[in-house]
Amino acid sequence: MHHSHIDRYAHGDSSIHRLDPRAKFLAVIAYTGILISFDRYAVSALAPMAVLPLVLLWFGGIPTWFVVRRVLVLSPFILVLCLVSPYYDRVPHAVSFGPWRYEMTGGWLTAADIALKFALGIMTLTALMSTTPFAQLLEGMRKLGVPRMFVVQLGFLYRYLFLLIDEGLRLKRGRDFRGAARVPVGRRLRAVGAVIGHLFIHTLDRSDRIHTAMTARGYRGEWHGLSTLRFRRRDAVFLLVTAAYLVICRWGYLLLH
Amino acid sequence: MVLAMHMANELLSVPVAGVTLALGAALLVWVAWRARKTVDPEKLPLMGVMGAFVFAGQMINFTLPGMPGTSGHLGGGVLLAIVLGPSAGILVMAAILVVQCLLFQDGGLLALGCNIINMGVIPCLLGWGIYRLMLGPVEAAKPWRQYVAAWLACVVGVTGGAALVPVEAAVSGVLKISPVHFLGVMVGVHLVIGFVEGLITFAVVAYLRQVRPEALGLSVADPAGRRLSRPAVTATFLVTAALLAGVVSWFASSHPDGLEWSYMEHRYGDGANALSDPSETIVKVDALQAKWSLMPDYSRRSAALGDVPRDEEAVEEAGPVWPAVSGWGSLAGLVGTAVTLVVVYLIAAAVRRRQRLAA
Repeated sequence: MHHSHIDRYAHGDSSIHRLDPRAKFLAVIAYTGILISFDRYAVSALAPMAVLPLVLLWFGGIPTWFVVRRVLVLSPFILVLCLVSPYYDRVPHAVSFGPWRYEMTGGWLTAADIALKFALGIMTLTALMSTTPFAQLLEGMRKLGVPRMFVVQLGFLYRYLFLLIDEGLRLKRGRDFRGAARVPVGRRLRAVGAVIGHLFIHTLDRSDRIHTAMTARGYRGEWHGLSTLRFRRRDAVFLLVTAAYLVICRWGYLLLH
Repeated sequence: MVLAMHMANELLSVPVAGVTLALGAALLVWVAWRARKTVDPEKLPLMGVMGAFVFAGQMINFTLPGMPGTSGHLGGGVLLAIVLGPSAGILVMAAILVVQCLLFQDGGLLALGCNIINMGVIPCLLGWGIYRLMLGPVEAAKPWRQYVAAWLACVVGVTGGAALVPVEAAVSGVLKISPVHFLGVMVGVHLVIGFVEGLITFAVVAYLRQVRPEALGLSVADPAGRRLSRPAVTATFLVTAALLAGVVSWFASSHPDGLEWSYMEHRYGDGANALSDPSETIVKVDALQAKWSLMPDYSRRSAALGDVPRDEEAVEEAGPVWPAVSGWGSLAGLVGTAVTLVVVYLIAAAVRRRQRLAA
């Protein structure tokens, strides 16, 4: 009984996987910033923005169903907000698509816009995380100036995340097998408290043991890592191309008018 | 259910995202500096393991009585703040939110600042403040007092953080949903979530008190925490007051002004006339509207969709009485909360059925 690895494609090998994590991380941040800076009615202008995530996903060899499932799993909350917005914004807009022209209310445009931006954002982030091992991304973040203490903390969180999730699932299964669903609320609540409390104490003890083990191996509050990251020419080219692409997407459209 | 609180990028404008990111980063630096005093600096990185605990704790669900298929689970922020202290709690929550954003794509990259404030800083500070305020000195606290304190801390902490989501969305102006309605729904839903989370936190605190009481009295290791620090209480009060004032004023200022409303309506008429114009005019009108839409008189707009004339007359006769509109706002909030809960329930029931069929 194991969780499904959410970053199972990160350790693959492709031209995208081989890019420097810093280049990919900066590109994704810039992409997201440009993405949300689009006007809320500019639905058609978003079309070229789909190119970057699709290119990353395609050349990274990430299966389509995996990405589609990520988007669908995460969408309920944002979909509700999208579907409510036509109710509040009823200003008519003229929309043209090739030779066809018709009217739409602003609310529907906003809904389409937010849903599209959301899907594109998730796709890009999925592309980043499915082509970059988390440890390498952290190393890149540290080199970009994120404080070492926080990066190491994220590393520990990642290292023990799946381990403890498995432990949580085991505890839950044990509790359910013992007929937890049939007992009265009060006792059920007490069981939940005991299980989580037990897990908490376990974790405290575990982190003590980890610390002892680290001290035994020479840890004195300083972190020593063996960095293998190298920012090569192709990373610079990737960043430059992405920047040019983003500028054209965002402002090239305005020049046409 | 906790999923609903992660803010997405798409609800924010670039300036709001920038400001909240900067604020979040500054708060993190400050909190890390504070945590160095309460936690052994060498062990600070190990706080990440506690983050993993929160993920694991969320696996243990609690089936709600009377609603089979729906279950609540631990949010974590308030419990961490109670057990580890507020600064360590915020630090752990921030790490969790970063990992949730990067690894699970839950919550946007640029919304990270907002999420750290909404789900880390506010629940930890408010929750911890209320817990300590209600409890007094930890060693002498009676059990029931500790329980009530834990419970109230969750309700207020979680709801306080959630109440910021509509405010941030409204300031960004991307979403045209009435902020008052959105706020009503968020507060309503999270009061319920806070209630369940409070129950679970309370149960965990009860267990820890029984099995390892020293884990709860962080004060044993931290002499500064033995007494209630006055600046912390003041800060808590200020944040609470600011939040309350914010919420109350959102409700109060959605006050119906017939004249302004008709002006707005007139302008909307203009927008309709400009329909055949090229998009530039529309964009300008929209820009103007976007400015206006920041004002909370949006609840008027929505009321206009129902029976406007009668309402308008009634308001004019009675004079500007704000409870009338606040009534609409809270009614919308209540209805929205009920609808949201029903939807959550149906999804949970459907998922459960599928799981059962699969098994």
